[in-house]
Amino acid sequence: MFTSNSQDDRDLVGRARRGDREAFTQLIVQYQVPLYNMALRMVGRPDDAADIAQEAFLRAWEKIRTLREAPFKSWLFQIAANLCYDHFRRGRRYGAMPDEETSNVIGLGIATPDPQEQAEASERNRLVRESIQALEHDMRIAIVLRDVNGMAYDEIASVLRVPLGTVKSRIARARAQVQERLQQYPDFFLREDAHAE
Amino acid sequence: MPSEPRVPTEPSLEELSAFIDSELDEAAQARVAEHVAGCRDCQARLDGLRQTAHAIRGLPMESPPRPFTIPAQRRQSWRWAPAGWIGSAAVALLLVAVGIQNLHLPSGPAATSRSTSTVSGGLAQGAGAQKGAVAPLAAPAPASNDQYSYGSASRAAANVATAVDPTNSSRRLVLDTDSTSYVANGKMQVTVQLIGSPSTSLNSGDQGLTLTLVRNGVGVALKPVGVESWNGTPIFGGRYDLASLPLSSPRDGAYRLEATWVVPDGSGRVLQASVPVTITS
Ligand SMILES: [Zn+2]
Repeated sequence: MFTSNSQDDRDLVGRARRGDREAFTQLIVQYQVPLYNMALRMVGRPDDAADIAQEAFLRAWEKIRTLREAPFKSWLFQIAANLCYDHFRRGRRYGAMPDEETSNVIGLGIATPDPQEQAEASERNRLVRESIQALEHDMRIAIVLRDVNGMAYDEIASVLRVPLGTVKSRIARARAQVQERLQQYPDFFLREDAHAE
Repeated sequence: MPSEPRVPTEPSLEELSAFIDSELDEAAQARVAEHVAGCRDCQARLDGLRQTAHAIRGLPMESPPRPFTIPAQRRQSWRWAPAGWIGSAAVALLLVAVGIQNLHLPSGPAATSRSTSTVSGGLAQGAGAQKGAVAPLAAPAPASNDQYSYGSASRAAANVATAVDPTNSSRRLVLDTDSTSYVANGKMQVTVQLIGSPSTSLNSGDQGLTLTLVRNGVGVALKPVGVESWNGTPIFGGRYDLASLPLSSPRDGAYRLEATWVVPDGSGRVLQASVPVTITS
């Protein structure tokens, strides 16, 4: 059985259905980071991702009275997933490389015990983001929900409204393609390879 | 029963991938495990997929660039909306002022405009300036705030603070330093324990952990370094050379060290703990 509404969510959803904006605000607080990151990994640009998350919350707020048994989280992510597909359909910036290196850089310089390690991590993350961006949409969303959002397969199936077997195969193919791309960078898996043989 | 082949059938890509996620049924999970144990090729295939999944999971959770809002009234169907309605709704936008600034990537610079006991401040103002018409609300009621953000109320003699997950009391974020006061060129030893983390990773990005030294609303990010996993609890820490931090002058004064943990289970739940730190000249 896929993740059901936590008691927490159920209370908040019940109150939000009765028009309690404060309750819905708590749902936003709870889901804004995962939802935004899902959209970010799908569309690449922070501004577009924030637009999608904002619109998803707005639609969820408007439609929450129509939500019956389904868990709020799956339903919310389903709305956002549809918005991601709308975004692709409109063709806006489709295929554009993510522009997030500069996102969320607030405040002063960074202090770190190991700047070198940090630079490497940032380069690795860039390659990973690009490899995800290169995936076809259906595969991309499956792997994002799994490996970014940590959803179980049946939860992903309910968000995407596809059979479990489809989820399984999309995630597998997506991983294989990301792996293939990352392996083009000889250093990428180096650290892990060191103990493979 | 005819005798089974010594090595069961080669697992498919799908099976290996689902195996990583423990999403096969029990029998299949066992069959793949057994095969992989005796097959170097499949061990290598599995490692590749696992490293790939791990690389994606290692992407830092980023914080949204702006707060998300809902209108004071539900948007009706557009047909019903009077011409001026959208504008007035925008004025009445409800600002969800939460302290998301310091939730962003652990490798990035961070500033924060608050201590753990209050929410809002910079965010609300920033958004107000940006949108013009937005009324900076009403930080969320203390009750909802407390639910996600805990201060250092439980601090005892040592410089330690604990935040407990309200939905899972066995999950706790424990932050401590080896002193409350340091000389400006001293070294501050920090330990962060992620008790009950769904992940055993010692990568702070995987764990969604950030560490920030804050004074007067300005923060400096410290990179939490994975130290060890003790009884399954990931422990982060570091000895930070205070002289090397880009603190604004005068460097001496009262700071707070804040640890923020976006629990890496996709729920977006945030635990936060902070301790006071004084730097003397
Ligand atoms: Zn094999």
